[in-house]
Amino acid sequence: MLTEIREGKTFTPVVKHITQEKIALYAEASGDFNPIHVDESFAAKTPFGGTIAHGMLSLAYVSEMMTSAFGQNWLSGGKLRAKFKEAARPGDTVTINGKIDCVEKKDDVSYADCSFECRNQRGEVIVVGEAIVKLSSDKR
Amino acid sequence: MQGNTVNYEELIPGYEFPPTSYELSASLVSKYLQAVNSAGDGFVPPLAITACVIATMADSFSLPPDTVAIHASQELEFFKLVPIGSTIECHTIVAQKITRGKMSMLILELEIFDQGKEKIQSGKTTIALTT
Repeated sequence: MLTEIREGKTFTPVVKHITQEKIALYAEASGDFNPIHVDESFAAKTPFGGTIAHGMLSLAYVSEMMTSAFGQNWLSGGKLRAKFKEAARPGDTVTINGKIDCVEKKDDVSYADCSFECRNQRGEVIVVGEAIVKLSSDKR
Repeated sequence: MQGNTVNYEELIPGYEFPPTSYELSASLVSKYLQAVNSAGDGFVPPLAITACVIATMADSFSLPPDTVAIHASQELEFFKLVPIGSTIECHTIVAQKITRGKMSMLILELEIFDQGKEKIQSGKTTIALTT
């Protein structure tokens, strides 16, 4: 958990290595067997040229970072908006970074407005987005 | 997957998918945590709920031939902690359908409730279809 909530505060990055095995595990867990993720011969014939990770897998890593930073405030008062810009592929190492852009008060409740991005090892942006976390009174 | 599948052409703005319910069992959560390589914190990860809902929804309609569907964007809001073992119900409607040349976008709005009919999550999913 963050010890201080202030503008510019960065979160502990989350780094994950993507493998086809992890994609298959995610497909099993979520029930999302879209062939673009799990069928290598199908995916090879698409514009992607091979399998890609589920966008929701990358987003799960974003949520892991936000949970580490804000704990239950994120799980029960979080809001996010994410765009999947590029595909994460087997063999990629993705790094999720984020920070608090500002802390604002509305109707006596404080909110942390945050931004995040997920990049691969080549620096390409995979996911980009914003998140808002409703803070409990003891964080104000 | 629950119920019958509908054709992509039948998905017009305002179309309501039949409500779906899920039991968020300990084994489901454990499988999810293993897949995302996370330790967990005693509650159902909100993204586990979203992932299951989206997968079921995507399975409930058939795509045009030779089409690839990918997730383009996602909006989510979490309202309350969800204990492991809870049963949830999801309501999804087609908010928008946009076609531009060979590219089509399907925008779905979802609302998820617990057994007490309290909203636990809402969101908007954009799926891009391309040939």
